[in-house]
Amino acid sequence: MRAITPASARRESVPAAAGIGLRAQHHREVQGGAPTIGWFEAHAENYFAAGGPAIECLERIRAHYPLSLHGVGLSLGSTDPLDECHLENLRRVIARFEPGLVSEHLSWSSFGGRFANDLLPLPYTQEALAHVSTRIAEVQDRLGRQILIENVSSYLQFTGSEMTEWEFVADVAARSGCAILLDLNNLYVAAHNHGFDAARYLQAMPVAAVQELHLAGHSSVDCDGGELLIDTHDGPVCDAVWDLYRAALRRFGPLPTLIEWDTEIPTLAILGAEAAKADAVCRELYAHAA
Amino acid sequence: MRSVVSSMRTLPELQADFLRAILDSSAEGISDAIVGGIIGPQRRLAVYTNNVETNFRAALLSIFPAIGRLVGDAYFTQCAREFRRAHPSRCGDLTPAGTAFPQYLAARHAEDRFRYLGDVARLEGLYHECLTAAEHPAFDHTKLAALAADDYDHVLFGLHPSARLFTSPFPAVAIWEANVASDAEPELIDLDRGGDRVLLIRRDYGVVFRSLGVGEYAFLESLSHGTPFAAAIAAASDAADAADAAECDASFDAVAALPAFVQAGAIVGFTMGVSRA
Repeated sequence: MRAITPASARRESVPAAAGIGLRAQHHREVQGGAPTIGWFEAHAENYFAAGGPAIECLERIRAHYPLSLHGVGLSLGSTDPLDECHLENLRRVIARFEPGLVSEHLSWSSFGGRFANDLLPLPYTQEALAHVSTRIAEVQDRLGRQILIENVSSYLQFTGSEMTEWEFVADVAARSGCAILLDLNNLYVAAHNHGFDAARYLQAMPVAAVQELHLAGHSSVDCDGGELLIDTHDGPVCDAVWDLYRAALRRFGPLPTLIEWDTEIPTLAILGAEAAKADAVCRELYAHAA
Repeated sequence: MRSVVSSMRTLPELQADFLRAILDSSAEGISDAIVGGIIGPQRRLAVYTNNVETNFRAALLSIFPAIGRLVGDAYFTQCAREFRRAHPSRCGDLTPAGTAFPQYLAARHAEDRFRYLGDVARLEGLYHECLTAAEHPAFDHTKLAALAADDYDHVLFGLHPSARLFTSPFPAVAIWEANVASDAEPELIDLDRGGDRVLLIRRDYGVVFRSLGVGEYAFLESLSHGTPFAAAIAAASDAADAADAAECDASFDAVAALPAFVQAGAIVGFTMGVSRA
């Protein structure tokens, strides 16, 4: 077994400040204008190609900014065998761009070789806990580094679940040795959709394991007389999630915080303003420490 | 009884039933495993079904934007849904999911006036491959200079990893160009104005199209299959002669071909083949 470098030991390259998701629409502007953004997050799968302008561009951006690499397709919770090709592509992208942080999702996406390419929820059972923890540990071993695992938005719960989501997330981190990427919008969406207390979830998170935060916008749909919140990443962060961010910063201290905005993508200036707002919230709480 | 059954599902069984529900729209097999309430299991599952369709459609559209514009949103959505059911994603990365989309469109429109759609899609697929292929160092001329004249016949010239060859009886490149430029004026393209025979190659971070004669196409195609230089030249000359006989203008300059395609960045290296002697 190779030595696993803790994410915290590498995190110096991704500062405890706000970053934004790098999207192709902004590649040219980021390269040319050198905007004052703390760091960028790139989706790993967008850089799986062997070459081309997107990769050249990320290499140039990487030379000037800290980078977090965020995967969406490893299907960690799936009972299908681990996709060796996907893992090899991920390993190659990590070697190429040397990101400060590498993250994936606490979800699954495939069965019998067919992929949904969506972040599907796991049942919170001992069986699923053992399975996904083993998989995460295996991936960390293969990559030779600790990864961060993100809680996902969910729209349903399974009758067979034996524990709460927050117990499941905390136990996965404890068993696999992974860090936690706590997505506060996902937490808010799930809390609304399933009627649990977001504050209780925050309190259950192991402080040392939480290494990164995500903030995003969501939307809501009326259905069957109820309301489901959907994790659409298509707008600004709502006030309730900003409140959750303050609570998270109080509990976990300043952390790398990503503004996610993936559809209806706004100008770089608007994304930068949202990131500046996150930095300002952190300064309000920790000005004395600066 | 159903709740007892659901609690007894193993993780693989649950994932099998769940995936069937959202990929094949057969939700009845999983509803009992989902907590109900004001919003029922079917409606909750529909969020995931919608995500699957939306993600798949978006991935397809990112590689086939001209097809999207040619056929319109509604028909593209219908095609994406039908194609996904026949060719589900087999990978955590959606990029390869559209590999068979050109064949699907060609088969769907084999007999109607939209026969060109399959070829335009094939061109878009090749364009994407060209754009994302590996880099390669420039041709090392000093190595070629060191080659003895007699060795040339057996040399295997290699194409740049981004080089793609495309041929179609339709003016697919013109159709594509008219449908990917956001500021392009609507243009009437005569489908009978002649087809395409082109090389796609990446230069300066963009894809360059180069029209090819019949002989040039045969030459590059032969090289791409690992044919030795002399045999590739012969194949090109034969193809050009056959086209000439069919009253097409298809001269092939065997002397100029090699330097021309080295200059164009299409031929980037060589290895020695097995001598026939």
